[in-house]
Order: sequence, then structure tokens, then C-alpha cells
Amino acid sequence: MNKTMGILMIVLALVIAIVPIFTDCLANGRSLTTADGRSVPMKCHWTALAEIGLAVPLALVGVFNLTSKRKETFRTLNLIGLALGALIVAFPTVLIGVCANKSMPCNMVELPTLILSGILVMGASLIALYSSRNIIEPAAA
Amino acid sequence: MNAFQLALKNISGNAFRNGVVSLCALLLAAFTLFTTVVMRGAETSLRLTIDRLGADIVVVPEGSEAKIESALLMGIPARFWMPEDNLGKLAAIEGVDVASPQLYLATLTGASCCSVSDMFMIAYDPSSDFTIQPWLEEELGNGLRLGEVVGGSFISATEGDQNIKVYGYLVTLKENLEPTGTGLDQTMFLTFDTAYDIAGKSSTQAESVLEIPPDSISAAMIKVRPGSDPHTVAVEIVQKVPGVTPIESANLFQSYRKQMTGLLKTILVILSVTWGLSVVLIGLVFSMAANERRKELGVLRALGATRRFVFQSLLAEASLLAFFGGITGLAVAGLAIFLFRNLIMYSLDIPFLLPSPASLLIQIGAGLLLALISVNLAAFLPAYKISRQDPAIAMRE
Repeated sequence: MNKTMGILMIVLALVIAIVPIFTDCLANGRSLTTADGRSVPMKCHWTALAEIGLAVPLALVGVFNLTSKRKETFRTLNLIGLALGALIVAFPTVLIGVCANKSMPCNMVELPTLILSGILVMGASLIALYSSRNIIEPAAA
Repeated sequence: MNAFQLALKNISGNAFRNGVVSLCALLLAAFTLFTTVVMRGAETSLRLTIDRLGADIVVVPEGSEAKIESALLMGIPARFWMPEDNLGKLAAIEGVDVASPQLYLATLTGASCCSVSDMFMIAYDPSSDFTIQPWLEEELGNGLRLGEVVGGSFISATEGDQNIKVYGYLVTLKENLEPTGTGLDQTMFLTFDTAYDIAGKSSTQAESVLEIPPDSISAAMIKVRPGSDPHTVAVEIVQKVPGVTPIESANLFQSYRKQMTGLLKTILVILSVTWGLSVVLIGLVFSMAANERRKELGVLRALGATRRFVFQSLLAEASLLAFFGGITGLAVAGLAIFLFRNLIMYSLDIPFLLPSPASLLIQIGAGLLLALISVNLAAFLPAYKISRQDPAIAMRE
């Protein structure tokens, strides 16, 4: 089960890193124009960048779930996975946010994708955490 | 150990078989829930929009039928005009109780003088309106004053806590209407006085003037007298008022209803194919599993288990897998529908409103029932065959 959850986490890490970058308002040609005429990205773009920072450790958690054998390691890894899942949801909703207008592209694709992915990451971490309780530790050399 | 406990123990033994059966149940349940929620959501949304309009007949200029449907359902601003004196002609028709005019306006696209781009605005006449004015009087205790507006559920203040900039004019958002899942949620409602005030000041405050042609209205909402037949009144309107089209509320959104029927047919075909393939696949997986476990089940029979017990334990196994797969599928589909509802609305080009908790529970139950029936149906034949075999032959093979 831990291996399956590890693969799921790697796939979700790819989704979290790639989808927001192509679905934020900047990718859809929308940005803010400042008083001096400069064009600056809206906050959904900064959320998309921050999510890359979460996707990398999540991918590592997934890889280590595939290779680890010790119960303690699984426990630590999946607690980190749980925290990463919560942060993946928190960045677009509380910490940075996305654009206010509900009909903007970031609200229709980026935000729901990140919330769904974050919940799935938390679910996968919980399942891996639960199933790791039955792991028989390899005998010490 | 009873049949259920044995099934539970067997489930923890075969990851591949469990994965395939649960995945099929997951897909069936998720697809069923998605189909029913989206289709019923669209239907509820259409009904609520017609209720919100509150008119028995909507009269628009000839050729504007599609435009008003797109405006009301998808919030795509509509601009059309007809002479204001049509209102007098409409009011004079026998059977017409009230005829109330409306102006259809829109904010500018990408202009700094409008804080919301391309927003549909409906101006109404408070003296004759019967669609929004009664609701306002109930909610606010009075109607809207000059410069005040109410918005659909998606409209929010953009300038400070309560204001929205429209053609450089700051209007005050007094209240939000309940969601309908249609374009009305992205529509702003204001009085004729506010609309004319914005238009008058737009020449100096806005990048472009808000033009309201003199002595013109966009549409007329008609309420027929109690006892009068709306269809007869609509026929009379066609005969007596040239250049207009009366749309009876029952016939509103016909093009969208046709589109939804087409979509429903396609989805039902896909659902049937998915269901058929899933049943065949689950049947094959269970046949393979039953053959693999021939000896094991033979030993079970030799130890005193009845045919009925073996049969029950196999079906209990199928039911447990269907239940876990179905529940997971329903949870993921429910969450995805809730989160992606706006995307569904825009990409399928249909209105959509989330169902009430009671209705959602019924639909979840239906999805789970379909998954349980399908998996049990597929597992029935292999389970029946294996339970009927002679234990001595099974153990020897």
C-alpha cells in the first residue's frame, strides 16, 4: 500500500507543480497594469510559484515511500506528507490566495485543482501512515 | 467465523483483484453521481431562473430570443432595444395585468472606469416591477435609492467595502441574491433612475459613454391576469404589437433544454458502455480468482462449510469491494463536482446549481446501489459455479 501511495504522491506532485503554472491568469494573458504602465502578475501567479516549492518535497516523500523499509521512516515521511497536503490547500485559500473574481481562469481551474490535490495528498499520507503500522522491520545486520 | 469475516480476511490477500474490482466500482459510482448531479443541477437552475424572473411572458424585440437566453443563463451581456410606446400597447391587451419595462446594459471591457469587465446589468422600473421589487421590499424594507444596486451571488464590492465602479460612477451594493447557477448570479440590478444617472455622468467620468437610446426599452416583463391563459395573451401580442416576440415562461431556454437533452443522451451512452465493460471485467476477474482458489474453497467445503456459506462469502467479498470502491468514487466525484462547478458550467455551456443535501444523499445512494448491483451481478455466476463444485475433485485438481 505504501508503494501505491508513493506513486500517487509523485503523480500529485507533478500535477501540483505543472497545472497551476499553465492555468493562472498570467498564462491566460491577464495581468495587472500599474499606474506607471507596467504589467505585473496577479497573486494567483505567486501561488503557482509557491506550489512548485511544495511539489518538490512532496515528490521526495513519494520517492522515499517507494524505497524505505523502516516503520519509523514511513511514519516521519507521511507526517511530512500530511503537513505538505495542508500547505498545498492553504496557499491558494488562506496564505496567498487567488484572484477575487470567481469567473477568472485561476478560480475555475488552478484553485480547485490545488484544493483537490492537497486533500488527496493528505488522504494518501493518512492511508500510508495507517498501513505502515503492520510493517515488519528488517532484522538488524 | 461467519461469511462476512471470511470475506474481510480474503480481501486483504489479493491486491490486484481487489484493485481492479474496486476501480470498476469507483468509476461506475463516480460517473453515475457526476451525470445525475450535473443534469439535475442544470434543470434546477433553469427552473429557479424562471421562478426568479417571475414573469408569465417576456417580450423582446424580434430576433433577440437567443440573446436574452444567453444573457439570463450565461451572463453574456445583451444589447437590444425596442420603442418604449410598445409598453402602452402591451398593457392595453386583454389579459395583461402588469407590463414592466427593463433596460439591458453592460459595463465596459478592460476599462479602468469599470471595476468589473463586461458585467450584465438589468435596470428595472420600481413603479411597475414585480420581479425584484417585492423581494427588495421584503429584504431591505424598501426599494433601492439612487446609486444603490443589488447583485447576483457572484457580485462583490470592488471599491472599499460596499462600492463598485461602473462607468466611473460609484454604486453601493446593498444585497446579494440567492445563487441560481446561471448568468443572473453575475448580473447587477439597478433602478431606471440610477441607470440614467450613470449614463448622464458617463460622458465626463468614463472612458466611453453609456448609451441608452431615448424612448427605448430592452424588454417587457408581462404578468397575466389570474384566470387568463398566457398562450392566448402571447398570440394576441404577436397580432397587436409588431416587431416584438413574446416568450412564454414555459418556453424559455428551449435551445438550452435541447442542448441538455443531447448532452444527456451522450452521457447515457458512455455510462452504458462503461457499465457493460465494468460488469464483463469484474466477471472475468472473479472467474480467474475463483479458479485460482478452487483448492482453497474445496478444503473449506471438506471442513464442513456448506455451499451456501461459500457462495455467501464470495458475494460478501464482492459487496465489500464494491462498497469501498463506490464510497471512494462518490467522495472524489462529489468533491470534484463541488470544486470544479464553475469550470463544468463554462465548458459544457450549461447553467448549474449544486443540489440540496437531501437530493445529494439520494443521488449518492443511487450511485452506491448501482456499484453494488453491478459487482454482485458480475460475481454471481463465478461464485455460483465454484460453490457447486465437488470438494474432492476441487482439491485433487
